[in-house]
Amino acid sequence: MTTNGGFEPVFCTVVPPHVLDRLARNDDPALSGPARRTLLRDSELRSRRRVTTEFRLAAAPTAKAPSDQPLRTVYDAGHRTVLPGTEVRAEGSEPGQDATVNRAYSGLGATFDLFLKAYGRHSIDGDGLPLDATVHYDEDYGNAFWNGEQMVFGDGDGEIFLDFTIPIDVIGHELAHGVTQYTANLTYYGQPGALNESMSDVFGSLIKQYTLGQTAAEADWLIGAGLLAPGVTGKALRSMKEPGSAYDDDVLGKDPQPGTMDDYVRTGRDNGGVHINSGIPNHAFYLAATALGGYAWEKAGQIWYDALAGGELGERAFFGDFAKLTVKAARERFGAGGEELQAVEKAWEQVGVRIL
Amino acid sequence: MRIQVRRTGGFAGIERHAEVDTSGRSDAHEWQALAEKALAAGRGTPPIGVPDGFSYQITVDGRTVYAADPRLTEEQRKLISRVLKEGA
Repeated sequence: MTTNGGFEPVFCTVVPPHVLDRLARNDDPALSGPARRTLLRDSELRSRRRVTTEFRLAAAPTAKAPSDQPLRTVYDAGHRTVLPGTEVRAEGSEPGQDATVNRAYSGLGATFDLFLKAYGRHSIDGDGLPLDATVHYDEDYGNAFWNGEQMVFGDGDGEIFLDFTIPIDVIGHELAHGVTQYTANLTYYGQPGALNESMSDVFGSLIKQYTLGQTAAEADWLIGAGLLAPGVTGKALRSMKEPGSAYDDDVLGKDPQPGTMDDYVRTGRDNGGVHINSGIPNHAFYLAATALGGYAWEKAGQIWYDALAGGELGERAFFGDFAKLTVKAARERFGAGGEELQAVEKAWEQVGVRIL
Repeated sequence: MRIQVRRTGGFAGIERHAEVDTSGRSDAHEWQALAEKALAAGRGTPPIGVPDGFSYQITVDGRTVYAADPRLTEEQRKLISRVLKEGA
């Protein structure tokens, strides 16, 4: 018995394939159904990725080109946990009274915009997927997550966390999990999981910078600024500029993020430290982006996007695998003698990631 | 009955831990019934959750099960939130 009502999350996308195979053969259709569909969709995605890589096609051929406009729907869970909840704002409708709903709606739009205008990507699947978000999830819920199909935001408890729709980079972060799922589909555990987290922080931060029109030098490079309640000692949840410095509080403890491989944290908790070790590739991005200057989404962001969505990044990629693809992307897009290649190579070297 | 809840992961990646000792409490039987149901629906190994979802470890008198958002049963959700709220 779950509390998801009729909604069926695609939880299986992060389950290892061998487990999915077993689930798909289960006698209970409640278990085998979703697993089978996930396997089917995974294989479709994989062939689409192969097609994209081998033939350099933008996406699988569709009857109609995807729209340049987002298709957003915001739902209200009414402090319960049934997803998606009641529809409260549809695409094109005017803002209502609820600031949380309006922030979610705008954040979805900003994310759609960046991916389309900077990278030519139509929505998170590259094919115009509708963007759904649920706000006011559960009571005092101090979290936001991507469930495989949509974003979910809690209101926070008011003592440690405020409303999770406040920082636009948090909204971008959740949507970027969708982009990762539809591209490299990085396994949400250990180093591939930390890379998955870092992709979300990188593009979440870029969405904030893009919205504010900030250059790499002007950006704060913080994730979750404005999310901590007034009594908490801290400026945000993570710092890409200086991992480990975002907060140091009596209740929360100290920001545990490392900025280099020397301090890589081995742990079984937090899916193998996905929110901890993401500090390392986060910092590499910051170093490359600030070395290149200007708008970070134009050069460093493009290189990172190419590496993520180019079809060559495996589900179980390590930092070094990703680093190698960024070097390749920098060379292919900006030339072998360019400052871009140099900046990217130096950034990985500074955080101690060996390019595999 | 000693009920412990450890929550890890989540967007913030910040861990929380709390426990409740039901002995001597007037609502002990209510806690026990809830804990038994939550335990019965748990898994022996940690499931890989959804991106940024919380992961939970529920330990009742030394026996540990695992669960992850958003796939919690009603009883697991209730037990987790009560222990994290009322526990020490």
